[in-house]
Amino acid sequence: MDLMWCVLAAALLPLFPASWLFNRAVARLPIGAAQGVAALVLPQLGLALLRLAPAAAAWPHAARDGGMVVATLSALLYAVRALSARDLGIWTRLVLSSGLATIWLAWLAGTPFGALRVMALGWGLPAAVALVLAGVLVRRMGGAYIGLQGGLVAVMPRLTASLVLAILALTATPVFSPFFALWKGLGAIPVAWLPFWLPLLFLWGWAAGRLFQDLLFGDYRGEKVADISGAGVAVIALVFVASVALSFVANGGAL
Amino acid sequence: MTLTLGDRLKVRAMVYVASEPIPRFWPMRTFIHHNPLYGLEGRPFAEAVAEGGRLFHARGYLERAQYQRYRREGKVDDGHLRRRIRDFLASRTDSTRGLDLEAWLWHMATACETSRTLENGDWVHGAGLAAVLRGEPVAIPDGDVDPSLRALLARHHSPESPVYRHVDALFGTTIGPTLDDLLAKSCLDFFDEGQSAWQAPGREAGFYQAWKELARRNARFLLRGLHLRQVLAQEETAEGMIASILRRLEVPEEAWQGYITHELTCMHGWAGFIRYRMSAQHYYWAQRYPADLVDFLAVRMVLGFALLQEGSRHHGTPASASEVTALLNGEPRQAYLRHELHGGSVLPAWAHEIDDVLARGRPAQIARMAKTYVAARIQWENGRAAAALRALAEGVGGSAQATLESLDPAQLDGLLAVLRDWEDTEGYMWLQAMESHYINELVGKIQRPVTEERSDRRPFAQALFCIDVRSEPMRRHLEALGDYQTFGIAGFFGIPLGYLAYGKGSEAHLCPAVQTPKNLVLEIPAGLDLEEEPLYDALQHVLHELKASVLSPFVAVEAVGLLFSLGLVGRTLAPLGYHRWRARLHADRPVTRLLLDKLSPEQADSIIRAVQRAMIVRALARELRIPRDTVTDDDVRNLREVALGHEKGPSTLARRLGMTDAAERDFLEKLRGIYRIDRAVTSLQRGRLGRIGFSIEEQVRYVTQALLSIGLDRNLSRFVLLIAHMSQSENNPYESALDCGACGGGKGLPNARALATMANKPEVRRRLRERGIVIPEDTWFVPAIHNTTTDEIELHDLDLVPARHLLYLERLRSGLNAASRRCAAERMPHLGTGSRLAADPFTAAALAQRQAHDWSQVRPEWGLARNLYAIVGRRSLTEGVNLEGRSFLQSYDYRLDPRGRLLENILTGPLVVGEWINLEHYFSVVDTESYGSGSKVYHNVAGRFAVMTGNQSDLRTGLPTQTVLKDGQPYHEPLRLIALVEAPLEFAQRTVGRIAKVQALIKGGWVRLLVLDPEDDYRVHVLDDGAFTVHPRSVRSMQAPSTNPALEASS
Repeated sequence: MDLMWCVLAAALLPLFPASWLFNRAVARLPIGAAQGVAALVLPQLGLALLRLAPAAAAWPHAARDGGMVVATLSALLYAVRALSARDLGIWTRLVLSSGLATIWLAWLAGTPFGALRVMALGWGLPAAVALVLAGVLVRRMGGAYIGLQGGLVAVMPRLTASLVLAILALTATPVFSPFFALWKGLGAIPVAWLPFWLPLLFLWGWAAGRLFQDLLFGDYRGEKVADISGAGVAVIALVFVASVALSFVANGGAL
Repeated sequence: MTLTLGDRLKVRAMVYVASEPIPRFWPMRTFIHHNPLYGLEGRPFAEAVAEGGRLFHARGYLERAQYQRYRREGKVDDGHLRRRIRDFLASRTDSTRGLDLEAWLWHMATACETSRTLENGDWVHGAGLAAVLRGEPVAIPDGDVDPSLRALLARHHSPESPVYRHVDALFGTTIGPTLDDLLAKSCLDFFDEGQSAWQAPGREAGFYQAWKELARRNARFLLRGLHLRQVLAQEETAEGMIASILRRLEVPEEAWQGYITHELTCMHGWAGFIRYRMSAQHYYWAQRYPADLVDFLAVRMVLGFALLQEGSRHHGTPASASEVTALLNGEPRQAYLRHELHGGSVLPAWAHEIDDVLARGRPAQIARMAKTYVAARIQWENGRAAAALRALAEGVGGSAQATLESLDPAQLDGLLAVLRDWEDTEGYMWLQAMESHYINELVGKIQRPVTEERSDRRPFAQALFCIDVRSEPMRRHLEALGDYQTFGIAGFFGIPLGYLAYGKGSEAHLCPAVQTPKNLVLEIPAGLDLEEEPLYDALQHVLHELKASVLSPFVAVEAVGLLFSLGLVGRTLAPLGYHRWRARLHADRPVTRLLLDKLSPEQADSIIRAVQRAMIVRALARELRIPRDTVTDDDVRNLREVALGHEKGPSTLARRLGMTDAAERDFLEKLRGIYRIDRAVTSLQRGRLGRIGFSIEEQVRYVTQALLSIGLDRNLSRFVLLIAHMSQSENNPYESALDCGACGGGKGLPNARALATMANKPEVRRRLRERGIVIPEDTWFVPAIHNTTTDEIELHDLDLVPARHLLYLERLRSGLNAASRRCAAERMPHLGTGSRLAADPFTAAALAQRQAHDWSQVRPEWGLARNLYAIVGRRSLTEGVNLEGRSFLQSYDYRLDPRGRLLENILTGPLVVGEWINLEHYFSVVDTESYGSGSKVYHNVAGRFAVMTGNQSDLRTGLPTQTVLKDGQPYHEPLRLIALVEAPLEFAQRTVGRIAKVQALIKGGWVRLLVLDPEDDYRVHVLDDGAFTVHPRSVRSMQAPSTNPALEASS
């Protein structure tokens, strides 16, 4: 039964192979706000389930190391998959899955649940914003397949700016909360694991770079579309400022 | 594979034909404004623009929304636009009954903001539209979609397009951009003109051969997986390699010409530069490191072929034309889905699904997906087109909407055809309508001379300015200030000269780019110690060497980096003060004279002797440490004679100093080899000296021509100023684009000095008098230069001015200074400086100075932007009229030109230069990326001869956006040059008819021609659609025509 809690948690707080369920469930929801809410809520539910499982410290060493290997591979796998994704919704889900897998590592290293919740929120918030914006793109352009039209920034500068912020946050760029959460959450992990983490950061950066290339450069070839409102941008900015503040408060020790 | 001589020759011929439309690109040291469609000037303008668009993937006209903006500003002649719409409809045989098509087209042009209301869909047709308009779903073809898909794919994938382009479009690979990058790097390595510290080896062998040697062992290519060795082993020659690769790519022979054209025009900047090198006989770098377009194409083909093979090996993409054709014809559904997905036209909602299906690669799934997608696409395209038509009909108003819905499929097809064809030609119609507005404006401004008699009044000073548009405000202000008379003449003053400036190692051609000067003029310092180099200059030289070296910067940055930071801070924070301080450190430029007179054989010999003797003295000091004090003139003469083989050794000096035979022989070898005291070299030098200077007959001819061409044959003032022009800016690779176009992108002062020297010469004046041109004894020609960035006019050669004139110099200078300030005050508010401050003449002059020395300034002046008119005629037509710095003003009095020879010269020289300048600006605005060079901010200097965007790209030809746009909107209004010639119509027609090139330009619509006929009551005859019509506003005393109130055909 104890292991069962972990398996159930892995379906909501994605860990390969149960992560497939998480991705499937989110993908089934209409793109936009519904998926955004799922990105915020499901990992928190997963953490709640994980709390019912025995503490990682009580696990045998071998099992713990095995869990860490699975979590690392899971994070790397989704990061690699994100490299080839061009649909913004899919890309966001993959990077989110990759990021949330690190929470398992932190849990296995004994990080307290409070910090884990902040970590989940750190990834969930930018992912939710990106998914909401993907919904906007689908409604206005017929799809959120980045790169088809090129140079989105020329016609939707506000949406593009918001999206760039969300992507930077989602890929744990410094200043944004996932970076500090990662720092804090993985602080307890042995240094020997570091070589596996550096490629992960590299892959996230690469995936973000590919997306930026399609978003920011080239000539826009599509039809004229309306941008999001200034108020929308203000709300998104507020969300990011709040999440950064929260991250400073919650992870103050990491700084 | 054996290639015959015929194959090789065929390739050469094809490359030649393919290169014809590619404009030559001159090195930026002497930026030549040129028409980017120069190679297509033989065709009518509209046709050439369409062809240029196809070749260079460029736009030929502005966006519709921009023209609409101009219309709102009152810059479009609505009547003309309506007439064009009527003419367009009248030229069509298909008609759509019941529709007021004129209203439809008018509404579409003036009210729809998108550049194309009806996108060119693949599946839009009358039946589909009719269904959508009735609110029904579009019927999807029941049968096999494959034939339709094959036809569609054949339209999009021409066999003349390079194979890699098909592969990129079908598989989403990036072979094209990769190939461009690799080729740009290869070109940079070879064509470098001293920018790189380490030069590529073996360049003397030519581009292809040198590249081939390097490519065989280039690690970068190997790392990319390009197997070049095998490819290069196939053929030895460049043309052989091209033919061989075309065969291996299985390109059908009938498509070779088109294929080669596509390949060459891909990077037309580099191709244009190589074309220029091929034609420039005198170009040092081309002589030393030869290259031609066959080399360029061969390198491109080899790289492209290797990349295709690499793609085939690793990704299974097609590697030949036949494999592409097999995919297009054999698997049209897969090919169509690929084409949609990777071509960027896929419906966004389907993109992921199609991507997924293609990645799985199951044929049945692909076939099903293709059919479903085609159905969705048909529905979407017809829906979009119907919505556009409905919106259009709603805008037209009245019964348009009801009529639209009642049309049957055939009528809808007809309507679509009319609307699409109109949209294809609409840009040209807008252009003509705008030009019509500006023609009206010009005709309204032109003044009828008060009297036909030529005035006997002798003004205080006469000034000859370049025809450049920047001279117009200066002339206007100078004339307004006092007793000045001004004239316009091409800035090279009609004297094509090769010029070797003091301290320069190469000759500059100061004449229009289409001419090659026969005469060479040398600038020689009057009184200077040649051996002495000022301390600061020497220090600067050392620092430059340190920077240019490969290793020294690592050390130098620690040692002398701080010195550079002084300059950095100074230039940034106080550019003007820093410039003044630095100018004081430099040695004063010595007083110089021009070696202008033709040398007699004796004089040539004497010069050679003098130079050789100086070289011998230097050689003695350097090689043998023998000071000048111990050598007599006889010793030097004797050594020279011995070195040249005129006398036998040993020399008197060797005997006197007791030199051994071997030592003397060694020294003589050095004299011949290093110091060039050699018989063959002497003979060559004698030949070159023959180019120096002008004979007295030539001088008389040039002065006569200059004066008569502008109508200045009498009443010459005390001062006749010959005012050339130049620009001044810092950190600006485009600096020479702001200099004089008539001087081949150079500064025209040497031409002004040459003409002044000739015209001040008593012998020349005597001969002119014999020809009826009397230059008063007290007239003095003074050369000067107008700095168009600061608006200053600086007088030159004042040390030669006769003493009795010096009294008047103060008045002259103060007048010129006042005009400069007024001119700056007119100009500076347009340059983004605070308009209130800039309107004050003194402040404006100071701001202009700062612009010239500010190294962060991307727009030191507007240059020739907004050029529009060329007025060939007397100044009285426009004197006192504010032409807003938009007119090339060429003075001309047809009464002094009974045979039309002077007008011929004007039309073939200044007018063509004006046309090139105008069209360079035109195309740089309508397509800032393909014809223009994009933003300056991303430019990097390439090889010291051009600029690229980023670290490597095609060479950026054309003008940067900062030169033609302001706040993202065109500052230069892209219109063709409107040339007004004051002359009798029949006389002008006859003259134009004698010059085939000019006739082609005018008839082809590259220049709009207006003839102001002074013998026909100053009517303006406008050449429009191949015939002259009298402009209605120009009819003053004659009765207006009764039949057509707008225009009356005059011929």
